[in-house]
Amino acid sequence: MKPNPNLDELLSSFMDGELSPRQRTEVQRMATRDAQVARRLQQLQNCRSLFRSLPVEKAPNDLLEQIRVSLERHSLLQEQPVVRRRSIGAWQLAFRRLVAAAAVLVLMGVLGVVVYQIVSPAPQGAVPLASDTRSPSGGERDRTTVIPLTVADAGFTGRLELRTARLAYADTFVARAIENSGLSGQDQSDLVGNKRVYRVTGTRESVQRLVASLSGVWQNFEGAVLQVDRPENAATPVVVEGVTPEEAAGIVAQNSTQASLEAAAGYAVMNRVAKAMPGGEFRPLIQDDPSSLLAALSIPRPRETGPEPSTPVTGVRPEGKAQVSLTIVLKSTM
Amino acid sequence: MVDPRLMTESSDLNHEVSLRAASINIDDSVLVRQAQAGDTPSMERLILKYQHRIYNVILKMCPNADDAAELTQETFVKVIESIEKFKGRSSFYTWLFRIAVNLTLNHCQRSARTATRSLDAEETDPDSDTSQLLKDLLSDDRAVDPAALAQSRELCDLAKRLLLELEEPQRAVVVLRDIEGMDYAQIADVLDVELGTVRSRLSRARSHLRDTLENMLK
Repeated sequence: MKPNPNLDELLSSFMDGELSPRQRTEVQRMATRDAQVARRLQQLQNCRSLFRSLPVEKAPNDLLEQIRVSLERHSLLQEQPVVRRRSIGAWQLAFRRLVAAAAVLVLMGVLGVVVYQIVSPAPQGAVPLASDTRSPSGGERDRTTVIPLTVADAGFTGRLELRTARLAYADTFVARAIENSGLSGQDQSDLVGNKRVYRVTGTRESVQRLVASLSGVWQNFEGAVLQVDRPENAATPVVVEGVTPEEAAGIVAQNSTQASLEAAAGYAVMNRVAKAMPGGEFRPLIQDDPSSLLAALSIPRPRETGPEPSTPVTGVRPEGKAQVSLTIVLKSTM
Repeated sequence: MVDPRLMTESSDLNHEVSLRAASINIDDSVLVRQAQAGDTPSMERLILKYQHRIYNVILKMCPNADDAAELTQETFVKVIESIEKFKGRSSFYTWLFRIAVNLTLNHCQRSARTATRSLDAEETDPDSDTSQLLKDLLSDDRAVDPAALAQSRELCDLAKRLLLELEEPQRAVVVLRDIEGMDYAQIADVLDVELGTVRSRLSRARSHLRDTLENMLK
C-alpha cells in the first residue's frame, strides 16, 4: 500500500483515541470496507506495541542523595561568587568614579591656569601687548591700537638662583663653565655668607652656552629658579620655578626680550602644572602637535643649545647688540 | 526553596518506600503547595513519585545511562530551585516533564554521542526468532504478542535504535506518547507546540518507523 500521510495521521490519531466520535466512526467504517486500510492500521498498532514493550528503566538508587549533593554544590557556586562579584564590582565602580573625578579636577586645573594666563591683566607697569583707546565717556571701544612687540632686541636681565648642598663643588663647576663659555673676565663673583653670586653679561649665545653647560651639575641642585626681568624696572618679573637647564637655555636663546619673557611665562605655567600633577611631570602627548598644550601656552621653541648648533638660526636677529645680564646665585642648603 | 541539607535521610530504603507509597495517594498540587512552603518531605515525595518515569523517558531519548542519570538529577535540581516560581498554570506533571525534555533535547543537540546513527550502516541481522517477530509486527492480519516482544532483547535493542534514528522532535513525541503514555494535549503542553504539530509529528514518526522495519525485512 502506498503511504498516505493524511491517512496515516488519521490512523495514528485513531489508535491514540484522539479523534472525535464522528471521525472515529469514519475510520472504523474505512477499515471495515478497505482491507489495505485495515492492514495499515494493524501494522501501525504493532509498531506502537514494539515501543510500549520496552522495559521501564529504574532511576539510580542514590538519586536523592545525588540531588542533595548537587543542590549543595549549586548553593556554593551561586552564593559565594555572587557576593565576591558584587564586592569586586562595587570596588571597580568606586575606583572608576575616583579616577574620573581626579581626571576632571586635573583637567579643570589645567584649563583654569591656561585661561588665567590668557585673561589675566598685565602687571602694573609692564609693557602692554595691546592697549585699548576708549572714548572719554568710557565703555565703548573706539579702536584698538596694537603696540608692536619689541622690534629690536634690547636683551634682558635675569637671575638664576640655584640651591645646593654641595656649594663648593657647584661653585667650582659654575666657575669653570663661565670661563669655558667665553664670559671670563666679565664675571663678578661675590662670596657672601653661604652663597656665591656671579654676575655675567654677554651675548645671548654665550649666556645660552653657559646655562646649557650647567646641565652636568644640575642634578646637584635641589631647587632652581629663573627670574626674567621685564624691561621696566617696576614691572613684576617672570619667575620660572623648577626650571631645567634646557628651559633656561631656551629662554635665553629667544630672538627678543619679549620672546624670552613669553617663553619664561610659558615654562612657569607648565612647571606649576607639572608640580601639581601626580608624578610631578607634565608632557604634551604629542610634542610636535600644534594643538598640544605646549603650543597652547605659546612657548616659543628654544633654539638648539650646545657648542655647535646643527640648525642655523632663522629670522632677523640683532646679533651682537643685545646683552643678557644674568646673575647666578648659588645658595647652600646646609 | 527546599534546603538540600534536610534531604540527608532519604537514602534509607524503608523511608523511601514509605514516602513513595504515601505520595501515590496524595495529589500533586497538595505536595507542590507544601514544597513551595518549604516542606522538604513533600518535595522528596514528588521526586520519588516521578524519578523512574523521568529517568525512563530521558533514557529513551538519550541512550547513555550515565547521561540520563545526570539529566534526571539536573531536572529535579531545577525543579527544586524553581518550585517557588511554579504558578500552576499547567499541571506539575507536564511542567516537570517540560524541564526534563528541554534539558535532554539541549543535551542531545550538544552531545555528539547522541548523534543519530543510520540503521543501514549497522549490522542488522536478526536471528530467526526476531525475524519472525518483525514479520509479525508488519503482519496485516494479526496483533503481536507484547510479552513475546518484551522477551526479545534483540528486538528491544532494535526498538531503542529505531528511536534514536528519529529526529529529536519526533523522538520526543513518540517517547512521551508511546512510552510515557501522555495524551496529545499533555505532549503539546510539554513541548510547547500546537496540538496539530503533535499529531503530525507522531504520525510521521510512526510511518517512518514502520517503513524502516519493512526495509529491514526485505
